[in-house]
Amino acid sequence: MPLYMTNAAQGAITDAAKQKIAADITRIHCDVTEAPPAFVHAFFVEDAPHMPLDGKSAFLLGSIRSGRNAEQKAQITDEMRQAIHQHAALPLDDIQVVIRDTPASWVMEGGDIMPEPGEEDQWIAAHEAKKAAENG
Amino acid sequence: MTTCNCIVQAGQISGETQAALRTRLDKFAQAKFGSPAEIGWVEIAPGSGYTASKPSTSSIVSLAANKPVEQSERIAMLEELCDIWSRETGCSLDEIVGVINDPA
Repeated sequence: MPLYMTNAAQGAITDAAKQKIAADITRIHCDVTEAPPAFVHAFFVEDAPHMPLDGKSAFLLGSIRSGRNAEQKAQITDEMRQAIHQHAALPLDDIQVVIRDTPASWVMEGGDIMPEPGEEDQWIAAHEAKKAAENG
Repeated sequence: MTTCNCIVQAGQISGETQAALRTRLDKFAQAKFGSPAEIGWVEIAPGSGYTASKPSTSSIVSLAANKPVEQSERIAMLEELCDIWSRETGCSLDEIVGVINDPA
């Protein structure tokens, strides 16, 4: 978590563009939230019925940990739209980005409940120490 | 029905393993929420999944609880859920994201 899932019309985003968009999604999320890159998942699907495009060519749904403010979410939304526009050559008004909050306490990654925003460094240190202890 | 959405990387989980997971997830949903699992299964095509900007090996399994869940109970459920996934697929816990959502 976060999970950034992009649904696009078939062929609208090439594999080369996906790689660049994923790199930008990761950079943008980490720049805005100071979260570590290891947390960021960027997945792409095509014509997925569970993510209706509603007439757009691309729909990016970002599920992020609760606690980011409106300014941070607006920056993420704007910059990720620009990234898709730039790398996939889609018109800006053909791209929808929605950010959805999920409480960190509802999510487990690496066998541990996700940290609240701002507590990532302590979480990673504790997680790595736990793994080291388990591995003997 | 308990909605259970699974997102996996294509080619990572065989049909046989997927069938075993579906059975285990259904039993999990019945035991925890008293209703069978309605499983959504999404495969991310090669070249379409990235974690930390690198090709991803991560799976996401997300359940929608039909009642608010106490946090201590949620942690136990998530540990069991991730353990099921790890045992059936052979994935490490670092490759599994488990989510149990409260009702909206």
